Amino acid sequence: MLKRLLLGALVGFLPSYCYSDNIAPYYGTTGNAAQSGLSWSMPNVLPAPPGLDINGVFYRYTPKKNTEDDMKVHVQNERANGTGYVFRDTEDWSGHPGGIEVRKVIGIADIPRAAWGDGSIEVEGTGTVEDATVIYSYKVDPCYDPQFSPSCPGYKTPVPVLPEVKVELYDATQDEYVNLSSEEKVSIEENEERLSEKEEEEKEAAEEAKRKYRLQKLMSATDTAALFAENQRIKQMNDAMNIAVGNQYLTATIPGGQYKETTKLVDAKLPDSRAGLRNGLAQQILHEKMISQQYK
Amino acid sequence: MLKKASIIVAMSLFTFTAQAVDVPISGTVQSRCVITTDTPGTYGNPNAYTLTTAAADGGVQPIVRYDVTLADAYYAQITTPTSFATSPSLSDTVTWTGSTSVSSVSDATNMAGYEAAKTTFGQTTQFDLTATGSTWFTSTSVATYGGNKAFPGGNYSATVEAVCVAK
Repeated sequence: MLKRLLLGALVGFLPSYCYSDNIAPYYGTTGNAAQSGLSWSMPNVLPAPPGLDINGVFYRYTPKKNTEDDMKVHVQNERANGTGYVFRDTEDWSGHPGGIEVRKVIGIADIPRAAWGDGSIEVEGTGTVEDATVIYSYKVDPCYDPQFSPSCPGYKTPVPVLPEVKVELYDATQDEYVNLSSEEKVSIEENEERLSEKEEEEKEAAEEAKRKYRLQKLMSATDTAALFAENQRIKQMNDAMNIAVGNQYLTATIPGGQYKETTKLVDAKLPDSRAGLRNGLAQQILHEKMISQQYK
Repeated sequence: MLKKASIIVAMSLFTFTAQAVDVPISGTVQSRCVITTDTPGTYGNPNAYTLTTAAADGGVQPIVRYDVTLADAYYAQITTPTSFATSPSLSDTVTWTGSTSVSSVSDATNMAGYEAAKTTFGQTTQFDLTATGSTWFTSTSVATYGGNKAFPGGNYSATVEAVCVAK
């Protein structure tokens, strides 16, 4: 049981051991930030790698002043967001002679570079500062970006980004190097106009078809209702008539016996109508005329 | 049975009374005042009869650093040379002058007054180390051969003595 526990503990510590062994933070120092003057911008002082924390400041300078003058010297860095100072160290030289150099090393608890704004040596009172040196010491964690190495915690296997290919269709009419005659240009313009007109017509036709379809649907619905109502009405009338007719049939009495033809034709011969003859003749003559015209 | 037991007890008591142990007590006192040579000095030879550490004369001023971790507990006493440690045989006297001053401090607010408060007796300068931190002291040393005679050729060396004296 004890062996199992020890083995478990060993396995548990193994990843952290490997991590610290492979991707360890490294340390360094900057150059003299005050080399070019008593104020400086941190991006110009700090090296490029991300995950950089400042863990110390070393500075030295020599004040030039009269002993009786009041003088304070602040070595400082503003906060990057402009609210106060992320680091500020003050020496009060009031009542002291100048010419004595001050050298200071100040430890700082790993403040990320993002917090550091512009740095400066500020003199408050009467006097000046000479031979100033300000050096920052820093720590860099390479695994600040987990993608730095597969050994970093949180590393994700990168998925290759497929390049987006933009295909531009070549339009000869827009090519300034293609020389078209005025007629060709006019022809192209006419073609374009025709195409646009055709597109417009097609659109209108489609719209019209939609309108008709909608109207047809509407009317169909209306007709169906009206037809139904009409059918109902007709059915009611038929029913009423059938009742009336039925009643008549029930009440009518057909007398029996023989029913003879009462109408008699007086003329013995029925001659052809002369008017019809003339009309037929005229039709025949007209027909023959029409036939003969095709041979002229 | 009772007799035997009594003897054993008596013997035991005898044994206890005869045993003596010396218990050692040891301890280490960490120095609260550490002196370190920051820059060794070099004599320049601006003329035949002068050796000097002045930079203008080709010399290098020696610098010594005192690191104090207990405030107001020590004096720094620095003595510039009054004789050569090594030199050729000299037949005449050598006149020695020297001085020591504060060149750098790690806490200007509390140490910048060291220079003004220093006391000098002979070739020795004493500073009152009232604050914790580091103080750098620079010394100058000038040796002039007697009667403006030329120093004999050879190697010359001298020593600045820096002492931390408890108050």
